[in-house]
Amino acid sequence: MVDATQTASKAAARITVISADANPNQGTADLIAGLRLYPLWSRLALHEVRQRFRRSLLGPLWLTLSMGIWVAAMGFVFSALFHQNAGQTLPYIAIGVIFWSLLTSSINEGTSVFIGNEGFIRNVPLPLSVHVFRMLARNLIIWAFNMVIYVAVLVFFGILPNANLFWFFPGFALFMINAAWMALAAAILSTRFRDIPQVIANVIQVVFFLTPVFWSLESLPNRPAFVVFNPFYHLLEVVRAPLLGQAPAVSSWGFDIGLAVVGVAATLLLYRRAFARIAYWV
Amino acid sequence: MAHISIRDLSVEFAIYGTNARSLKNTVLAQATGGRVMAGARDVVAVRALDHLNLEIADGDRVGLVGHNGSGKTTLLRVLAGIYKPVGGQVTIEGRVGTLLDPSAGMDSEATGLQNIYIRGYILGMSRQEIEANLPDIAAFTDLGDFLALPVKTYSAGMAARLTFAISTAPKADILLIDEGIGAGDAAFQEKAQRRIEGVFARTRIVLLASHAESLITRFCNRRLTLERGEVVGDVPLAQAPVPVD
Repeated sequence: MVDATQTASKAAARITVISADANPNQGTADLIAGLRLYPLWSRLALHEVRQRFRRSLLGPLWLTLSMGIWVAAMGFVFSALFHQNAGQTLPYIAIGVIFWSLLTSSINEGTSVFIGNEGFIRNVPLPLSVHVFRMLARNLIIWAFNMVIYVAVLVFFGILPNANLFWFFPGFALFMINAAWMALAAAILSTRFRDIPQVIANVIQVVFFLTPVFWSLESLPNRPAFVVFNPFYHLLEVVRAPLLGQAPAVSSWGFDIGLAVVGVAATLLLYRRAFARIAYWV
Repeated sequence: MAHISIRDLSVEFAIYGTNARSLKNTVLAQATGGRVMAGARDVVAVRALDHLNLEIADGDRVGLVGHNGSGKTTLLRVLAGIYKPVGGQVTIEGRVGTLLDPSAGMDSEATGLQNIYIRGYILGMSRQEIEANLPDIAAFTDLGDFLALPVKTYSAGMAARLTFAISTAPKADILLIDEGIGAGDAAFQEKAQRRIEGVFARTRIVLLASHAESLITRFCNRRLTLERGEVVGDVPLAQAPVPVD
């Protein structure tokens, strides 16, 4: 028990002002407050992954296994179909599928991040962005399990990473910043307009075939416009090239940095505008 | 000193995707509920709180009464920072704790002990705080070894004891409570009321929204009546222990 005087003296320090005029600034403050609550959302994300595989023998390794089977099947079918060397095709497809899955499940799960947490949002005073960060953390944990496949493929084909691997770190940071704003934008728009989740799911399905995830640009005589202007291609490029021992193209760095600047700014504006209404929309 | 000052507070809900006209007619035909206004296009705006002014001083135990839809829960959610106002200003001095939905964030697949941690973190407690409160929470629930089992194996009464014990653990200067405190059998009700008394004794301001007159007369020293998002009655109640400094 805390004695009353102690409570009172602590109270004097904490003054909260809730005002209609301050709503947009609270949107920005909400993002920062949410980010600072990393002990909460990282724990909840870990708990969710653990709970999903409770009582199963392999636990979260099921994630690795099911994606591994998918990668192996795709890799062998494509290398056979196009008469390519499996030692080249398989690492390419493995990385492509692992990062494609991280990016698109962040966006797809983003569409339901506020709607699905309605009871939570309306009854627990927490920054709204906590739910977005928790979803991103969960997908990162799943991604870490999937990266076991990449390591397994390297070991299996006896491939050694070279100095270009260093580019992976800035590349992955850029990749995640873009994934984060896309997920948040999807979350805001989906909460207000309930057709958006369906639209996004369908667009992603089509873009999957237009993006060199499992097929390679080398099989095309020249670069079509749907690749040159495809943000998903450039996002994959900055993480895939380093992991395959190549330096990513300068054009991809430029595209991704530009995309991050514009996307983060636009999403921030959107969040500031929508922030005060999200609890009513869910 | 804890204090709440509410000036000109207005809250509006926009309801989308309904036929504005027919809903408007339906809602206006009823005596209860917020004011329904025809907004632009197909959007119906419900004004849940209408230019509300209120001062709540240190030591106040406010019982919020009113019909369903009179704005009780909305007011608590605004004070909790969940609903943002469309007009006006609220100034709150002190740390706010909430008991709006005691089961929000609970995971029925997880064990009782895991839920104590999850719910504790969600309520803003640190690991140390949770661990310090653990013996007290465990003792109150009377669950013993059941704490190591998933919550879905509990009876309704056992689950209620657990959620209640966790939710009443954090310390706050201002506590917002919505409806149904306590569930379960008679013996538990009595125990729950004693725990609530303890919580009230260490909290500077309490807002309790309830339809149960007995709860309000027992715990509150002020009764606020809300109707259509406005304060229509504000009377002091005879007694209720006020914390001593």
